[in-house]
Amino acid sequence: MYPMSDADRQVIKPEIMKSYIWLQTADDSLQEVEQEVATFCPFICHEIHKGMGSSKNYPISLPQRVNPGTLSLILDYCRFHQVSGRSNKERKSYDEKFIRMDTKRLCELTSAADSLQLRPLVDLTSRALARMIEGKTPEEIRETFHLPDDLTEEEKLEPLRNFADDPRIRLLNTLYARKRKELKERGKPKSVEVEGELVDDRSVDDLLSFINGGTSTVDSFGIRTTPCGLVLKRLNHGQCCSVFMGIGEDLCTPIWRRSDSKGVRASKSKKKNRRRKDQLKHAPMSCSTVNSTSSSNNAIDIHKESNGGDFICHNSKVHNHSVPVLCETLKLQDIEDDRFAPEDELDDLDPAMKEIIDREVEDFARRLNSDWHERIQELLSLDQERRPLPITRPIYNLRSSPCASYFRTLLLALSVQSGASYA
Amino acid sequence: MVMEVDKISNLPGHITDKILSHLSLRDAVRTSILSRKWRYKWDSLPYLVFDNQSVLVSSPDQTVIKSKLVNIVDHVLLLHSGPIEKFKLSHRDLQGVNDIDRWILFLSRGSLKEFVLEIWKGHRYRLPSSLYCCQNLIHLELFNCLVKPPPIFNGFRSLKSLDLQHITVDQDVFEYLISSCLLLERLTLMNFEGFTQLNIHAPNLLFFDVGGVFEDVNFGNASHLAIVSIGLYVNAGHDKNPALGNTGNMIKFFAPLPHIQRLEVQSFFLKYLAAGKVPERLPTPCIELNYLSIRINFNDREESLAASCLLRSSPNLQELEMLARPEEQTAVRPAANILQEGSDKCPFNQLRLVKIAGISGGSQELNFINFLLANSPALEMMTVKPASTNGGWELLKELLRFRRASVQAEIIYLDP
Repeated sequence: MYPMSDADRQVIKPEIMKSYIWLQTADDSLQEVEQEVATFCPFICHEIHKGMGSSKNYPISLPQRVNPGTLSLILDYCRFHQVSGRSNKERKSYDEKFIRMDTKRLCELTSAADSLQLRPLVDLTSRALARMIEGKTPEEIRETFHLPDDLTEEEKLEPLRNFADDPRIRLLNTLYARKRKELKERGKPKSVEVEGELVDDRSVDDLLSFINGGTSTVDSFGIRTTPCGLVLKRLNHGQCCSVFMGIGEDLCTPIWRRSDSKGVRASKSKKKNRRRKDQLKHAPMSCSTVNSTSSSNNAIDIHKESNGGDFICHNSKVHNHSVPVLCETLKLQDIEDDRFAPEDELDDLDPAMKEIIDREVEDFARRLNSDWHERIQELLSLDQERRPLPITRPIYNLRSSPCASYFRTLLLALSVQSGASYA
Repeated sequence: MVMEVDKISNLPGHITDKILSHLSLRDAVRTSILSRKWRYKWDSLPYLVFDNQSVLVSSPDQTVIKSKLVNIVDHVLLLHSGPIEKFKLSHRDLQGVNDIDRWILFLSRGSLKEFVLEIWKGHRYRLPSSLYCCQNLIHLELFNCLVKPPPIFNGFRSLKSLDLQHITVDQDVFEYLISSCLLLERLTLMNFEGFTQLNIHAPNLLFFDVGGVFEDVNFGNASHLAIVSIGLYVNAGHDKNPALGNTGNMIKFFAPLPHIQRLEVQSFFLKYLAAGKVPERLPTPCIELNYLSIRINFNDREESLAASCLLRSSPNLQELEMLARPEEQTAVRPAANILQEGSDKCPFNQLRLVKIAGISGGSQELNFINFLLANSPALEMMTVKPASTNGGWELLKELLRFRRASVQAEIIYLDP
């Protein structure tokens, strides 16, 4: 019924003298195991000290939560890990393969390991279970673990709304809501399409020049392009660094935080921080180029928000440490927006409106990309005394670049103003 | 047909806590809408961590963040039941708001064991007096705070680990804080203000990590202190002061540290050690010292003397790291080889690994390397990394000539 244990196989090699102990599970079935393997479990170790398990008649009674299936898994685990010569890498890779099993067995294993006081295995399995819960929707989790969906709707909606926010949707809602508000305030939209077109060209050209080679200065919103007061914090394991942008006079000198033995001025950490400083230097520049003044006021406000929003969206998605560094810089550059719409107004989003705008964005993107080459050729061939427009890679991949939402909102602004469609 | 059984909901509470503790607070709280049994599983979590990952609040607007964050923390604390053993607040966008006072008051009424507060924005946050009433605290970690306990403060009786970075404390408060925590084993101090004398009276201290600006270091009784890392961030002119008498800083520093095992001398601390009279070797050698890392300016005679004294007093050294301080560009005069001034040989019988970095091929640097190679019969590897490519070839030529006491020593030249 049980797989032939190593104990049985060892009998074939009589020269290896090992002592064996007897274990009994709750269903009264017995198993013989090498002592050195079994004593990896503190529970079994204690029982042996009490004098149990040395013979078939006095087996060690294992706790009820340990059934024969989980026992063999636990013994496999013990058999591997009790060998002292293994490297950490080997152990880790064994562990990763070991926990690949269905949730039911994983839960049973956790329970059994806990009753045998085998803490490393409990840690391993509980981390695996946590990974199965992490980041999933409630429906997915219920499916994975076969949980009954037995809460009433009312109970579900109770005070957890705060935790289920998606920052992207919130931001998008804000932008749309604000646009709608401004529409209402302005009353009749500006009429002439010609006007709209002029505004369009100028903004786009400005945009192109900003993206291609904008200057990094302090723009009208006080957004500085150099990081002030760079602080790095190293955490206990000496590995990850977090960034602290000091705001205020007392935090202008570079300061360090660490709680490991490596020194601040030691060459290693200095290089790490230099790399980060370089990363941060690039970030403000790109921020400023897109944030630089454009023709329409509305566009500016939206740039600020959308730029911030996009980076914030990046932040919530990406989990490695260098990207949050960039995001922190941008977030913390004192962007004061006192006209941020309160959340209550955002819930009534019109899906139809959203669809229309999305379609328009895609169309605009296509149009812009197709016009690029012709426009460039035109500019270059026509007038060579004019200051040359630096050519860079056109923005083909609109979806992922920060300019994506810029265009999106720009389009929004322009379509609202002029009432024209770019289909 | 196999009935799908829900196994996870019936696991014992402490295991569920363990599973949930591997999740961010946000994910853990979200499990409460999974099923009836899961509704209140999260609220006995003993560890509450509020940082950027557990609380996804993102907005360029400070007031919005503040209100959302405060809202969330208030909610969690209110819904939570059971003891809170660890509380960490480290959200990047939160400034030192008064709500933190309220939360600390709430926590102090329980049995808080670990408290981590990191204020990433704004000025130093003044800690409320209720924090000093948490007598069960074992670990306290503060970043960007102002520590000013009330007069009735008796110290943290259970505190074993203290981590203070970017804090402001008065001199006497600091000394009292350290000496009143009788169980203190780990102390980390970085970038502190308000005190300049590091008078550390902690008899159980094992780990000491300091980086900042200070004038003096005094250990009371530190017979257990095993790991020390000190960085003095300012190059104070330590002239030979006759008022110091016969004991230089070198002897004064090492006298109360008989069991030191790992030492890192960073930034300008070697200059501090070099002040006063530096003997050829310490009166009592550091016999347990197995790891040493020194930041040194090889062209400074006093520092080289201090370093050689330290080396001569560490017979059981296993790993050595010597990093040249890059900022100082003093004139490179051919210095007298102080390492040959020692009379007897100084074998490093256990020295296996040596790292030298940031050098430029000066004569004093080469003297040190020569000295180490000649006295390390067990050496396995020495890595040499120059500061720049200038003079790299000359350096290599010199390195090639040195005699090696160890046959299996590898000398690895790393590109700058």
